[in-house]
Amino acid sequence: MEWSGLGSVGSISAFWSQLVVMINHFKKLLSGKSLLISLPYLWLILLVAIPLLIVLKISLSDMGPTSVTDVLSWSQGWPTIKINFSSYLFLASDQLYIDTYLSSIKYALLTTFICLVVGFPFAYFMARAPKYLQPMLLMLIMLPFWTSFLLRIYAWKTLLVSNGIINNALLSLGVINQPLAIMNNSFSLVLGMVYSYLPFMILPLYANLSKLDLRFLEAAADLGANAFKTFWLVTVPLSKAGIIAGSMLVFIPAVGEYVIPELLGGSDTLMIGRVLWDEFFANNDWPMASAVAVVMMLLILLPMSLLSSYQSEQAESKL
Amino acid sequence: MSKIFARTWLIMVYLFLYFPIVTLVIYSFNDSPLVSIWSQASLRWYRALANDRDLIASVVLSFKIALMVGLLSVLFGTLTAFVLSKYKRFYGRTFFFSMATAPLVMPDVIVGLSLLLMLVSLQHWLGFPERGLLTILLGHALLGTAYAAVVVSSRLKEMDVRLDEAAMDLGCKPRQVFRLITFPLIMPSLISAFLLTFTLSFDDVVLASFLSGPGYSTLPMVIFSRARLGLNPSINAVAAVTIAVVSVAVIVSSIYHVRTQRKRDHEIAMRYSDGSQ
Amino acid sequence: MATEPKPNKVKTDLLRVEGVTKIFDGVIKAVDDVSLTVAQGEIFALLGGSGCGKSTLLRLLAGFEVPTKGRIFLAGQDITDLPPYQRPINMMFQSYALFPHLTVWQNIAFGLQRDHMPKAQIAERVESMLKLIQLTSFAQRKPHQLSGGQQQRVALARSLAKQPKLLLLDEPLGALDKKLREKTQVELVGIIEEVGVTCVLVTHDQEEAMTMASTIAVMHEGTILQTGTPDEVYERPNSRQVAEFIGDVNIFEGQIETYAADHVRIRSEVCVHYLMHGISGHVGLSVVVAVRPEKIVLSKKRPAGEVNWCVGEVVALVYFGDHTIYHIQLANAQVIKAQQMNRTTDLAEAITSGDRVYASWSGLALVVLVQ
Repeated sequence: MEWSGLGSVGSISAFWSQLVVMINHFKKLLSGKSLLISLPYLWLILLVAIPLLIVLKISLSDMGPTSVTDVLSWSQGWPTIKINFSSYLFLASDQLYIDTYLSSIKYALLTTFICLVVGFPFAYFMARAPKYLQPMLLMLIMLPFWTSFLLRIYAWKTLLVSNGIINNALLSLGVINQPLAIMNNSFSLVLGMVYSYLPFMILPLYANLSKLDLRFLEAAADLGANAFKTFWLVTVPLSKAGIIAGSMLVFIPAVGEYVIPELLGGSDTLMIGRVLWDEFFANNDWPMASAVAVVMMLLILLPMSLLSSYQSEQAESKL
Repeated sequence: MSKIFARTWLIMVYLFLYFPIVTLVIYSFNDSPLVSIWSQASLRWYRALANDRDLIASVVLSFKIALMVGLLSVLFGTLTAFVLSKYKRFYGRTFFFSMATAPLVMPDVIVGLSLLLMLVSLQHWLGFPERGLLTILLGHALLGTAYAAVVVSSRLKEMDVRLDEAAMDLGCKPRQVFRLITFPLIMPSLISAFLLTFTLSFDDVVLASFLSGPGYSTLPMVIFSRARLGLNPSINAVAAVTIAVVSVAVIVSSIYHVRTQRKRDHEIAMRYSDGSQ
Repeated sequence: MATEPKPNKVKTDLLRVEGVTKIFDGVIKAVDDVSLTVAQGEIFALLGGSGCGKSTLLRLLAGFEVPTKGRIFLAGQDITDLPPYQRPINMMFQSYALFPHLTVWQNIAFGLQRDHMPKAQIAERVESMLKLIQLTSFAQRKPHQLSGGQQQRVALARSLAKQPKLLLLDEPLGALDKKLREKTQVELVGIIEEVGVTCVLVTHDQEEAMTMASTIAVMHEGTILQTGTPDEVYERPNSRQVAEFIGDVNIFEGQIETYAADHVRIRSEVCVHYLMHGISGHVGLSVVVAVRPEKIVLSKKRPAGEVNWCVGEVVALVYFGDHTIYHIQLANAQVIKAQQMNRTTDLAEAITSGDRVYASWSGLALVVLVQ
C-alpha cells in the first residue's frame, strides 16, 4: 500500500477501496472454515501451549521466600525480564537428579525390552492363530485395558508384599523359609510397568503382523531357511514399524511414570515422575518442579523426533 | 512342537495378565481384614462399601466428571480431527497438529503440572476458576480431546472423500453434507471415543491429584490414597465391582460387534449367491 | 423452428467449454486452454492416459474445481462460478461413492429430497428409476449387499434421478471385471439412450470410448489433441500421438519424394508409399506414415508393383484363435505388426515363425502425419 499521497482525492478513494478489501478479508476470516479451525485451535492453545509456556517461564524464575518471583516484572513502568537459571544449574550439579534421570531411562528401557521379548512372540502367535479365534484373543488383551489401571497395580501390591498372597502361598507350601523380597524394589517396579504396558506393545505389533503376508514366510521356508532363520531374517525386519511403534508406546509413558513407582517401587528405585511430584507437593518448589518437567520433556522429544524422521523416511521410500 | 510352544506362550501371557485381577476379585470375598490372608468367604467388604460415604461421594463425582469429559472430548476431538483431515493447509497447521498430539506423548505429571500452573495464573488474574470439579474436568477433557481426535480421525481417514463430493453433486450444501453423510458415518467412532475418554477420566489419578481442590476427591484419588497407606480390603471390593461392570459392558459390546460383523459377512456372501449380476 | 425448412434434426450445443485452464499449486497445469462443445443428446468421451487432465476437466464440469482461466456454459448459461450443488449436472463416480449407510432407495432419493420434491413425487421417481435399472426388488438393500454390477446401476440411477441436463461418468466401467464389462456397457448405453441424457464420460480405455461414445476427444498433457467420431480418430488420426494412443499402429518415417496433384510418393528406409489422395506438403518434407496392423496383407509371394509393400522375417506370432498377430522384422531391424484373420483350417498353408513374408497394403490404408 502506498500512503504517501493520502491527501489527494484519488488516494482517498483508493484508501476507501483498500478498506473495503480489508473488511471483506476480515469477513472471510469469520466464515465457516476459519471458525471451524479456530475453535479447537483456541482450545488447544489455552490448554496445551500456554500451560507449557508457563512451565518454561516458571522454571526460569526464582523461588522467593513465600512465592515465585515472576520472570516478567514491572519496575518504574518498564517491563524487566529476570531470567534465573538456578533451577537448571541445581539440576545439573546435583548427583541425585542426574541419577534419577538415568535410572528412569534405565527402567523404561528395561520395561520396553521385556515387553518386546514377551510381546513379540505373543503377537506373532496371535496373528497366526485361527482367524475365528483372533477377535476373541484381541478382546482378552484389551479387557484389562478397560479396567482400572490403578486397581491392577494395587492387585500386584496384594500379591507381592512380604505377607502377601505369593509369599504366603510359597511359605505354606514349604518352598521357602522366609518371605522373598519381591516388593518395593526394582523387581516389583519393572514387573508392574511390564504388566501395565504389555498391551501397548502387543497391539501395534499384532496390527502389523496380522497384515504381514504369510506367503513371505512360506517363500522363505521354500528357499530352505529354517524356522528361526525365517523369523529372524524375514518376519522381524518386516515388522519393524510395529516394533518401533510398540516400543515408543511403552517407553514414553514409562519414563514419566508416577503411580507405579509410588505403589510398587522402593525408596531406592528412583523415578523422575515421582521426584517431580515430590518437588511440587512436598517441597512446594515450583521452579524446580518445572525445570524437572522441562528436562523430562526434552528427554521424550528426542526419541519422538527420531521416530518421526524414521516415519517420514518410510513414507518417502514408499513413494 | 512349535504349536505347543505357541499355545503355551499365549496361555502364560494371559495368565500373567489375568492372575492379579482374578486374585483381587477372589480376595474381595475374604472375611479377614488382612487382605492377603484368607479366612472365610463373606460379603463383609461389600456391606462396608455401601456405608463408605467418602467412597460413594467419590464415585458420584468421578461419574459426573467422566460423563462431561466424554461429551466435551468427543466434541473437541471431532472438531480437531475434522480440521486436520479436511484442511490440508492453513496457517499454523503443524503447530495445531503438535498441540493436538502433545498430550498423548507427555507424561501425566507434566500435563498435570502445566495445567495447574496455568490455572493458578488464571486464578491470579481473573479470580477464578476455583480448583475443583471444573479444573479436573478441563484437564481430563484436554487429554480426552487428544485421544478422541485419534479415534475419530482414523475413521475420517478411511472415509471416501468422494462421498462428500457425491452428496454435493446431488444438491447438498456443505453444511448438510456433515449432517447427512459424515455424521452418520462417523457415529460408531464417536461412541468408541466417548467410551474411551469416559474410561480415561474415570481411571485417572495423576491429573486429578494436581487439579483438584479440597473436598473434591475422585474415586481413583480415594483408592490411591488408601493404597498408598497399605492394603485395604475395601479396595478389593471396589475393584470387583468395577471389573464386573466393565467386563459385562465389554463382553456385551463385543458380542454385538461380532454379531453385526457376522451378519454383514453373511449378507456379502449372500449377494454372490444371488447370481452373477 | 416450425418455419425452418430443414427436415433433419438440428444439433444444438448443450455444453460449451471456452479456453479453460486449471493450474494447481501455481505450477502444475492439469488442463491447458481446452475448448470444446458437446451437442444435445451426445455421448462425449474424454480419452487419455492417467495424468492427461481428463479427470480434472470432468471435476471442473461438476464444479469440484474452479478453473484458473476460461468459462463453462451449459445451455447458454455461464456456470463457471456455480457450486456443484447448484449445477443441473450430476455425476456417476468412479467406484460409485454410494452412501454406505443408506439403502438403495434412499441413495436414489437423496438428490430429490435435497430439492424438496413432494414425497409422493419422490416415491414415484425412485420407483421408475428402480424399474429402469431392474433392481426394484433390491430397494431396501444397503450398497454392501449388492454386487459390483448392481452397485454400478444404482449409481447410475442416483445420478439420473434428478434428470440432469448433463450426466458425467467417471471411468464408468473401471471398477468391474472384464467379463461384466461388455454386458454392463450395453446396458449402460441402453439406459442412457432411453433417458436421452447428454453425457460426458472419462476413460482411459479406448475400447470403452469407441463403443460407447458418439464423439471422442483424445487428451494428452492437459490439451485436446483431436476431437471426432470414433472412426475419425481411429482411421484419420491427426497426430502420431493419437495414432499411437488409439489401437496398434506401425509407423514408417520418411520424406516426400514426389508431390503431384493426384498422388504423393513417400520414401522411407524400407519401402515406398504411394497415396492417391492429397496431403498438404512439399517435396523433401519429413513425414510419418501410419498403417494399422489389420490393414496389412501378408503373403509368401512378392506383390505386383514397386510400392506399398515391404519384406521381412516373421520373428513372433501371437495366436488369438480367430486372428493371429505376426511380428515381422524388416531389413532395417524395425519390427512391424500385421493382423491376419485365420480364414482356413489348413495349418500347412499358414505362415509360421521364421518365414520370409511380404507385407503389403493399399494406398487407402495409409495415414500421413507431419511430424
